[in-house]
Amino acid sequence: MSETAAIRHLDLRRKEPPVPSAELVYDVFWWGDLPIGAKASARGELPLGVGQLRALAADLLARQLAGREPALGAPLVAGSEGQPHRALSLQSAATMDHLEERLEELTSLPPCDASDIALIICTRDRPRALERCLASLPRQVSEPGQFIVVDNSASGSARALCANYGGIDYVHEPAPGLSRARNAGIRAARRPVLAFTDDDVEPHPAWLSEVSRAFRQHDVECVTGLVLPATLGTKAQRNFQFALGAFGNSFVPLLFDERFFAETRPHGAHVWRIGAGANMAFRRSAFDRAGLFDERLGAGASGCSEDSEFWYRLLALGGSCLYEPRAVVLHHHRSEWQELKSQVRVYMRGHVSALVAQHDAFGDRGNLRRIGLQLPKYFVRTGLGSLLHGRWTRLSLMTAEIRGWLAGLTYLARPGWRRRRGEWQKL
Amino acid sequence: MGYQLLEVELSRPLEPVRLAPDQGGCGIIARWQGRLAGFQMIQLPLGATLSSAQLRDLADREFAAKVLELRLEAALPEPQPPAERPSLSIAICTRNRAARLGRLLHSLQVADPDPSFRSVEVVVVDNGSSDDTRGTVASFADARYVHEPRAGLNFGRNAALRTATGDLLAYLDDDVVVDRKWLGGLARAWRSRPDAGGFTGLALPYRLSTEAQVLFEQRGGFGRGFSRIEFRSESYANPLFPVGAGSVGAGCNMAFDRQLLLDLGGFDEALDTGAPLPGGGDLDIFYRVLRSGRPMIYEPDYAVYHEHREGMAELKRQYWSWGLGLMAFLAKSGRTDRALAQRHRAMVRWWFADQLRSLLRALRRGDLTAASFGLAELRGGLMGVWGEYDRSQARVAAIRASAA
Repeated sequence: MSETAAIRHLDLRRKEPPVPSAELVYDVFWWGDLPIGAKASARGELPLGVGQLRALAADLLARQLAGREPALGAPLVAGSEGQPHRALSLQSAATMDHLEERLEELTSLPPCDASDIALIICTRDRPRALERCLASLPRQVSEPGQFIVVDNSASGSARALCANYGGIDYVHEPAPGLSRARNAGIRAARRPVLAFTDDDVEPHPAWLSEVSRAFRQHDVECVTGLVLPATLGTKAQRNFQFALGAFGNSFVPLLFDERFFAETRPHGAHVWRIGAGANMAFRRSAFDRAGLFDERLGAGASGCSEDSEFWYRLLALGGSCLYEPRAVVLHHHRSEWQELKSQVRVYMRGHVSALVAQHDAFGDRGNLRRIGLQLPKYFVRTGLGSLLHGRWTRLSLMTAEIRGWLAGLTYLARPGWRRRRGEWQKL
Repeated sequence: MGYQLLEVELSRPLEPVRLAPDQGGCGIIARWQGRLAGFQMIQLPLGATLSSAQLRDLADREFAAKVLELRLEAALPEPQPPAERPSLSIAICTRNRAARLGRLLHSLQVADPDPSFRSVEVVVVDNGSSDDTRGTVASFADARYVHEPRAGLNFGRNAALRTATGDLLAYLDDDVVVDRKWLGGLARAWRSRPDAGGFTGLALPYRLSTEAQVLFEQRGGFGRGFSRIEFRSESYANPLFPVGAGSVGAGCNMAFDRQLLLDLGGFDEALDTGAPLPGGGDLDIFYRVLRSGRPMIYEPDYAVYHEHREGMAELKRQYWSWGLGLMAFLAKSGRTDRALAQRHRAMVRWWFADQLRSLLRALRRGDLTAASFGLAELRGGLMGVWGEYDRSQARVAAIRASAA
């Protein structure tokens, strides 16, 4: 694993910028203001060269057109593991005119008003991260109509910082748990759209504008977006990004609808592919219909997956979600190896607990199948593959995942924790 | 039982395909406005017809995305090549295959010319033929005949290197014919990266008339896909790279900056020696070019059609030679390139584990043919690990001595 890493944001319409003196460079490719792809390169692979960038641009732009042009079948519907179902036909690919103009139309869109949005950030005793996050928000090209910070610390430690910034609706929720904090934010929100991000995130300037645009263009109850790494300076951050796949890295919009839910339901429904809590937004009607975040789940409780469990409920009740990678946030991954290992363990524990909760609420046995069959299979396959390739760090992360899975199994045996069919937290 | 091999131009209406009574499927080479866009094989009942609806379905699934990409690529500005156009030498090393050589020379004669090259010459290296190879060459006005009596493909390649004059030197095996846009493909690759050390291209099947030819193609053939790829001295995605540079291309269709080959000391004559060690030579030269710091470009339009082995025994021998060639190469470069010795060892470990895994998978499926191919490749690999490179060096030294 390399010593230092740099991230470049590279507009493929322009010349390649200078190569930073890093062992690893993570390039995020843009076409104007449209993010279209990413690639990690070792030092010896750089600079990329004009021919390679041209081939890359053609490939990535074709994916954008196929994923964004209604005439070519967009938006694509997600299938197993969030892989898109193909909609393109030879006929449409061969005959669509004015490709360049259509591409041009996909970029340089005017900002979209975001005054319909209540922005909710939950934080807990991380003043440095919160300050960095708050400092980045004035760069938003479209301001939210309401800005709520939910302080989940026992002592209300973020109050002074929020007072400094002004225009913030400060909410103190001393009972620990990210779901509780988010639910407090929902209760305090006074706008028809609720956008969530975390304190370890710096949103891209166009984030709220693009969230707002997605809700105007699509009749969905939830919009999620692309989560890119803010830095990859440590081994922990690189492993989270590359070995574990971070928060997904599709650059093409995907629709998660009743078809996706029906197809993946036998395997526990692959709702974790929908997005990440660090970049999600809902119409208020979603909470009216499907209730609140499950306070047994999430950071500070069982670990995580309170977001994906809510998506599960939303889909099970007939809703749909759109993943729109135009809405970009930059996430600061955990920088210390021990932090990452414990995060991985807690994520897996949270994932298993959410599967138990989903099973109990809707009686879908697919959730149990995932716990009892697919996750162990994944452990065996990843374990053998890591041994074969000598990927010891991956193996070490997997032991953390297995410990998390074992801890997650205990939720099956907690009668007081489990709920009956159709029982969840209402608004 | 063979397959029908056909070409489909996607910009024209798709016609149904009627199989002959002894054909059990078809291999479809798809083009978009002349450019290669994909290759797919479909198994069908003997003598069946592939309807245009079925063909359309296949095209939607497999070729449509590529068509969109090719159209977009055409809209993007092409990089400006250097003002100085390169000259090109085409080298064909052959031994006792006059008929196939004639077929290849003919395909070069009728291929589309390309203005990117200042001049093009063809050099045929006769590696000790006893048939009418000399006469065949003489019947093509533009081809130059060179005799290399020392048996061994890499002896032949080095003879071509000594006599060729072009800035670029393109090697073709005698069991291929070139696509009509072969020159244009090589020119495209060169224009996209004029400082590249080498270029490789697509190798499609020439025919799929026998079971062995169909099987070879079904098992992946020489296919490296329909997208341009740039190879460098390392790869973040593949930590073992450039060890195992087999992904770069195939020796039957490769070109180099001739001066670079000379600087590198040419091909290793103890690899690709013909019968005793018929492989590893291409891996070795790709590896050395990349280690010299120069990129290599894979370009699908730089395409040939390769006559695959006709019989099952020959095909099995080919897999054996792949295992042997790879391991002989690894044995050599693990020794000569100490800086990457760890990657070489890891590659050997990974390869044997991977071969065993696919062997077990074949056995579990009850696929005895695949298992026998896997065993042959493993057998070759073991032979390569156990000193074949050293034995080959001794043999080559003896050949040099007796020729001198």
